Amino acid sequence: MEQKIVTVGYGDVKKVQIGGTLPLAFVGGPCAIENRDHALFMAESIAEICEKLDIPWIYKSCYDKDCRSSPKSFHGVGIDKGLKILSEVRETLKVPVVSDFSDSSWAVATGEVCDMVQVPAYLCRQTSILRAAAHTGRPILLKKGQFMSPWNMKNSCRKLEAFGNDRIILADRGTFMGYNMLVNDMTCFPTMRYTGYPVCYDATHSIQLPTSMGNISGGQREFIPYLVRSAVANGINLLFMETHDNPSKALSDANTVLDIKYLENVLYQAKKVHEMRLELFNELGPDNVHPTNK
Amino acid sequence: MKVEDVMIEMGKFPAVTQNTILKEALTEMGEANLGLVCIINNKQELLGLITDGDLRRKLLKVQKPFSAFFVDDALVHAKEDPITCQPGENLKEVVKLMGDKQIWDLPVVNQDNQLVGLLHLHPAIKKLIN
Repeated sequence: MEQKIVTVGYGDVKKVQIGGTLPLAFVGGPCAIENRDHALFMAESIAEICEKLDIPWIYKSCYDKDCRSSPKSFHGVGIDKGLKILSEVRETLKVPVVSDFSDSSWAVATGEVCDMVQVPAYLCRQTSILRAAAHTGRPILLKKGQFMSPWNMKNSCRKLEAFGNDRIILADRGTFMGYNMLVNDMTCFPTMRYTGYPVCYDATHSIQLPTSMGNISGGQREFIPYLVRSAVANGINLLFMETHDNPSKALSDANTVLDIKYLENVLYQAKKVHEMRLELFNELGPDNVHPTNK
Repeated sequence: MKVEDVMIEMGKFPAVTQNTILKEALTEMGEANLGLVCIINNKQELLGLITDGDLRRKLLKVQKPFSAFFVDDALVHAKEDPITCQPGENLKEVVKLMGDKQIWDLPVVNQDNQLVGLLHLHPAIKKLIN
């Protein structure tokens, strides 16, 4: 099946093309926007790494974390302040930016600033959210709900298409295995890819142990490199990782964000594995194992 | 007597567009109480069809969960390049062809391969007998 190419970026930012046999792209940043200076510092730090490795990238950080486990957890800087900061990051570094939104009424403002809008996994089948995301006119990073089968994500794609937007990237962030535990089903990538849309692997949320620590989520970040290598070899188009300069002090997802000191190492491996996969396909042609249901 | 004299008109038998998932196509078949569904593109050209028999054989082969099977595009499981007939063809000859091929329903297409009707065996025979 022919795969769509999704271009992220408007205006004078460095556009990122995602899909097909294009170079692997990266989307990352701190889970939550903490403050202006930190956002700019993180963006500059990531930019330096991505430029060195020649990896096209998108800055990700959210202004409102609406799915925290506890009402006492940091909820975010809010939409007005957050979008202002993202806009400044965007203008300063000429990098596309993305944030999620958890309420339909936030979509228009988010789409006015962000180059891509993200639909949170928990809300991936919420019609009102999907309608609002589609109507922004921006590309949409649609996370597969932890409770969803990869094939049923097609229904959410059909909703977005029906609302007039087919610039979709489908992301896996793990699937619930019982309570407080996520696993990655690696067949989800070819299954979601079958929709024709590019696929993304969200490594740092995949190693999350949801609400495993009572009122906050835990995580096993030591598994990030293993899973990244697996997912990239599988054939993803976009790699998603949240990163922070001081994870233990991160205001959101402290147990899962990747310390930025490891980012270059992991991205370098991801880029190499992606290139090796493309070289193999050039040599051997694409996978052609006959499916059992044909 | 011609095929067009007895064929079922568009809108009165199951015909779905190419992006329809299998579950929706099966629902169409059930509602029309016919054993096949035609799949067409947005130019109304016939792309393929699924019959009860195709599905029966498919059920013995498919390995994926039903929930995944149901959301496949119907076209994935369709018989492409099916036998068809044209509206102006002689009904008796077409019915003979259906007997030879043991088929109950035959899509009717025009010269541009656009679906224009469906020939169902029972009313065709009834017409010929009468």
